[in-house]
Amino acid sequence: MSTHNQGTELDLSWISKIQVNHPAVLRRAEQIQARRPVKKEWQAAWLLKAVTFIDLTTLSGDDTSSNIQRLCYKAKYPIREDLLKALNMHDKGITTAAVCVYPARVCDAVKALKAVGCNIPVASVATGFPAGQTHLKTRLEEIRLAVEDGATEIDVVINRTLVLTGQWEGSDFIKTSTGKETVNATFPVAIVMLRAIRDFFWKTGNKIGFKPAGGIRSAKDSLAWLSLVKEELGDEWLKPELFRIGASTLLSDIERQIYHHVTGRYAAYHDLPMS
Amino acid sequence: MAATRAGPRAREIFTTLEYGPAPESHACALAWLDTQDRLLGHYVSGKWSKPEHRNSVPCQDPTTGENLASCLQAQAEDVAAAAEAARTAFESWSQLPGAARAQHLTRLAKVIQKHQRLLWTLESLVTGRAVREVRDGDVQLAQQLLHYHAVQAHTQEEALAGWEPMGVIGLILPSTFSFLEMMWRICPALAVGCTVVALVPPASPTPLLLAQLAGELGPFPGIINVISGPASLGPVLASQPGVQKVAFCGALEGGLRLLVQESVWEEAMRRLQARMGRLRCGRGLDGAVDMGARGAAARDLAQRYVREAQSQGAQVFQAGDVPLDSPFYPPTLVSDLPPASPCAQAEVPWPVVVASPFRTAKEALALANGTPRGGSASVWSERLGQALELGYGLRVGTVWINSHGLRDPAVPTGGCKESGSSWHGGPDGLYEYLRPSGTPARLSYLSKNLNYDSFGLVVPSALPAGPETGPTPAPPYGLFVGGRFQAPGARSSRPIQDAFGNLHGYVAEGGAKDIRGAVEAAHQAASSWAGQSPGARRALLWALAAALERRESALASRLERQGVELKAAKAEVELSVRRLRAWGAQAQAQGQTLQLGVLAIVCPDEWPLLAFVSLLAPALAHGNTVVMVPSGACPLLALEVCQDMATLFPAGLVNVVTGDRDHLTRCLALHQDIQALWYFGSAQGSQFVEWASAGNLKPVWVSRGLPRAWEQEAEGAGPELGLRAARTKALWLPMGD
Repeated sequence: MSTHNQGTELDLSWISKIQVNHPAVLRRAEQIQARRPVKKEWQAAWLLKAVTFIDLTTLSGDDTSSNIQRLCYKAKYPIREDLLKALNMHDKGITTAAVCVYPARVCDAVKALKAVGCNIPVASVATGFPAGQTHLKTRLEEIRLAVEDGATEIDVVINRTLVLTGQWEGSDFIKTSTGKETVNATFPVAIVMLRAIRDFFWKTGNKIGFKPAGGIRSAKDSLAWLSLVKEELGDEWLKPELFRIGASTLLSDIERQIYHHVTGRYAAYHDLPMS
Repeated sequence: MAATRAGPRAREIFTTLEYGPAPESHACALAWLDTQDRLLGHYVSGKWSKPEHRNSVPCQDPTTGENLASCLQAQAEDVAAAAEAARTAFESWSQLPGAARAQHLTRLAKVIQKHQRLLWTLESLVTGRAVREVRDGDVQLAQQLLHYHAVQAHTQEEALAGWEPMGVIGLILPSTFSFLEMMWRICPALAVGCTVVALVPPASPTPLLLAQLAGELGPFPGIINVISGPASLGPVLASQPGVQKVAFCGALEGGLRLLVQESVWEEAMRRLQARMGRLRCGRGLDGAVDMGARGAAARDLAQRYVREAQSQGAQVFQAGDVPLDSPFYPPTLVSDLPPASPCAQAEVPWPVVVASPFRTAKEALALANGTPRGGSASVWSERLGQALELGYGLRVGTVWINSHGLRDPAVPTGGCKESGSSWHGGPDGLYEYLRPSGTPARLSYLSKNLNYDSFGLVVPSALPAGPETGPTPAPPYGLFVGGRFQAPGARSSRPIQDAFGNLHGYVAEGGAKDIRGAVEAAHQAASSWAGQSPGARRALLWALAAALERRESALASRLERQGVELKAAKAEVELSVRRLRAWGAQAQAQGQTLQLGVLAIVCPDEWPLLAFVSLLAPALAHGNTVVMVPSGACPLLALEVCQDMATLFPAGLVNVVTGDRDHLTRCLALHQDIQALWYFGSAQGSQFVEWASAGNLKPVWVSRGLPRAWEQEAEGAGPELGLRAARTKALWLPMGD
């Protein structure tokens, strides 16, 4: 696990001095997708790499142990074996970065992963996800319970009341949003966040991770996200320790693209195992 | 299942996460070149023309050096044929109703849309520019330009009622132009009813493709004609009968100057270098590169510049993912270049950026304005007020605030100083190709006998010519410079005769030193005059009008001595007063306009009072300060007016220099710090003025020896005067928080 953010003295002037040239950010965001197209075997390799960044997520009201089990199996075997063999990637141990579930399902996830012999972390959302409007006492208790059950990563919902009144907290990773808002991970927001990460690194030497979540569905999108991180922060951040993509259906679209690359055909829905 | 591949396989890429090429096929470009058997000629009047016995020049891929095609070099006959075709086309094209031209331009835009892949592929292949830039930038903007100008054509009859298209426009393009530069000029010309002959350097297939697309549109095949040939054919094109205007587009180097405030220098350099490190260089046709190569010549130029800069003490930083072999040159940042070094004065070549620090905004402005170039600039600051102030102060044609490089067909693009004075785009850009209705066609009047070295050099001596007669007291003697009457540097005078052969008076013999002094005085008054509110300008012009009214009898009697009947003389004075008031009112009504600076005006010999006032008023109304050479036949009228200006106007606002007109014209035309020159005199003088003003590319307006009906509204007080007295500037301020 990467070193934790040791934290710094809270210096509010860092925040008040920030200026964002919004129109310029929008222009750069527009160009992202067109700027670095990735084709052929590069695309296949990038997509497999994108898989290793995914926090395979299920956050539905009707989650039960059976769909958790399916999810965990998919996390361990995200791409069909024969497709990986065709790319000579079957022995690289490609799995997703983590699975991400509600606190009550952590136990099921841990059990399911153990059953398939996969040691990727279980991440739990906590702290009154997604609105964060619960008492501090219960929020802390949630975290404790999730960790007790075996979660090794926690997606914390920040207290927006505090943010809007200018009271800040520190973290190891910053995430675009819960993924449950109307507007979630967009490129302009991401650019601003990535620049903030870069500035923080230049000032303190600490590397903070980045996780976009919500609305990332297509393989093409994932390539744009990888390219964005590569351009703004560089190759050092293209590791699961510093970059995660919170997604659920993205994986199947990536699998379809890989299928197309290997076979030259477009897969039917039933050709690939569901997650 | 996986075939063995020569390149890196997925396994390696998985670890390195390199980008890999994203090549665009240029098969369509090659196929088009094949339709011409890889030999490109000219495209005139809707047909390809490949005259025999012509030299040809190879068209090469700047990245690989591979020969793509041969291009014929035109000769004088080809230029003449193209001009003839354009002339014929002009007759029908200009008579069309605007709506018909609008339709045609819209169809041309659609044709470009249908063949855009061929266009961008060909352009990227031949120029080496990144295909992404051409595809997403140039080609889209070209279509927008056509659509915008179609609308302008549509409304031409109402909006531009007193104006007609000039005629055939010649266009001369340099070796480093993009086809978009050509579109910026062709679209307004076509929209208003002109036709075009473009002389492009050989090895430029894209304009030929464009001409072909336009030509095949029918039924106006001759509106765009393209010939490829050497720049030496420029004068041939200019002298063709029917060619009314030649638009010359100079070569753009493409490098940038960056001025960074000291307090943010470290941060800015760090971020710039980080970003430079991410740039990718490669073949232009690769969709994933940021910059291509522009050929061996461009590379050598950049290399020479950087080496010289280093020898002059600069630091050089280069980065980016660049192939090592020629002709690629990495993006380069040059800093710590001493401001006085030759490299700091020279134009910066592509892809170099020269960065210099500054302490205050005032210093930045002085540094930025301290070059002869005046094209475009961008200002970056979170303090909007400061950014706007800098934007106003920069002597350039376009300013972007917190953004760069934005272009839109509705916003005029142009420059000042040595970036030229012509404008394209927007409603103002149309006037480049229009003239007031009824203006006689411009005939080729170049006289081979004019000796530029000796014109106006020597002033013939003037001797005393008898007693001054006349009841009216003579005006104060001297040149009116800096708000007062001063003796001329040459300490001599010339006699002025009246209509009856008697001596009317003596006026000072002004010379080069006096012109210099007058221009200096005008510059000193310029900044405060430019800062005056429109209401203040109106007040001054009205005050002068009132003063002239009071002086009516003196002015009328002087006019009588010049042979004007009393009634006509009074009418002339009245009309002059009215004109002053009209321009004053317009100054206030139109609000703040952008002045040119110091305007030099050589008044016509006829209408010594009316023409003087008719030229003075619009110049002042638009915020300029002036240096005037009054009528040679009777400068005394102007000097009468100066008496009132001495009391009413700030010093230096108006300066009047009398003397030998040719000599004074010579001094003004050769002066590098005059922003515009209007000349109403002989054909020879006009020719000299145009030739000499090329020294600092100041805009000129000459009469070519033709008379002008000053007493009529259209010619004496029409909108043309106002247009020539001001300039445009585009200021971009994207909004959004």
